[in-house]
Amino acid sequence: MASAAPQEHTGKGGKKALDAELNLVPFIDLLSCCISFLLITAVWTQIAGLQVSSSGGPPEQQSKQESTIDVKLLLNDKGYQLTMAGASIDIPKLNGAFDRKALGEKLKTLKTSLPDQSAITVQPEDSVAYSDLVETVDTAMGERLRNVTVAPAN
Amino acid sequence: MAIVTPGKRPCERIAQSKVFAKKFTRAKRGVYAALTLTSLVDVMTIIVIFLLMNFSANGEVLYMSKDIRLPDAYHGAQLERAPVVSVSAEAVTFDGRMLLNTGDLDKGDALNVPELEEALRDEKRRYEAIHLNDPDHPFRGLVNVQADRRIPFKVIKRIMFACNQSGFANINFAALSRERGPAATVTASR
Repeated sequence: MASAAPQEHTGKGGKKALDAELNLVPFIDLLSCCISFLLITAVWTQIAGLQVSSSGGPPEQQSKQESTIDVKLLLNDKGYQLTMAGASIDIPKLNGAFDRKALGEKLKTLKTSLPDQSAITVQPEDSVAYSDLVETVDTAMGERLRNVTVAPAN
Repeated sequence: MAIVTPGKRPCERIAQSKVFAKKFTRAKRGVYAALTLTSLVDVMTIIVIFLLMNFSANGEVLYMSKDIRLPDAYHGAQLERAPVVSVSAEAVTFDGRMLLNTGDLDKGDALNVPELEEALRDEKRRYEAIHLNDPDHPFRGLVNVQADRRIPFKVIKRIMFACNQSGFANINFAALSRERGPAATVTASR
């Protein structure tokens, strides 16, 4: 309210208000420009990339360590088949879907016993969907097996 | 006779008087109404902060098509700018250019895809010509594969084979980035 504003005496009897009104119009102009720019350049979907190598590609320069083994993961209609060091572990499908949780636990056990292991070969059959392949690669990368090679099952 | 506004009118002598003429002059109301701009500025500031937090300097690497539903990934790295091979249920496109029907890739046992290989080789030649005297940007053979979640591996296998044959050995599978708590920061770099 105007009556509540602080006032100073001018010496001539009149009182001059101390309140100064900010000119908000240029500020609003600036904000409008910022909002327009940010809305135009906004990226609403965050896309991730899972980098894999293909079995047909050039050989990757990787020092072969004694503390690593060949790990192969087969994806077929029945589920996962994890093969490592001559042993084979079947992880059947759960309610018609690949049991990624069980796979994650097996890979975690593997990673605990072989901390230097970072390579795994994923071998899906032709009928396996892209989503199952990506989610399997994602599970392997989640267990710090980052050198994922994708190769055909046969 | 001149047309005048109805109502009281002073005579000429009163109208010229400094004292009495005031009774006949009507007070003028201002035509400007003050808007309360403070709340508007508050709202706009909040919008700017929200948009700045979501701002990505990389921009959009992939063109999101309604025909392609990407799978989810929790441990993916940020996608780099590279040639994009998109595979929907209907067509295979390379950098937005349609090359062939997806149904054709689902038939037969052959692995090669001549149309895609030719397009990728052209892309490689173009990149090497542009960066001929630029040792800081060697050809890394990076390609992004953006496929619908229902596409069978038989099609993906042929796409990967074509990429390999054309010198694009670093294949990035595109997926929608999801967060699973603070531990989900593992990157997919080799």
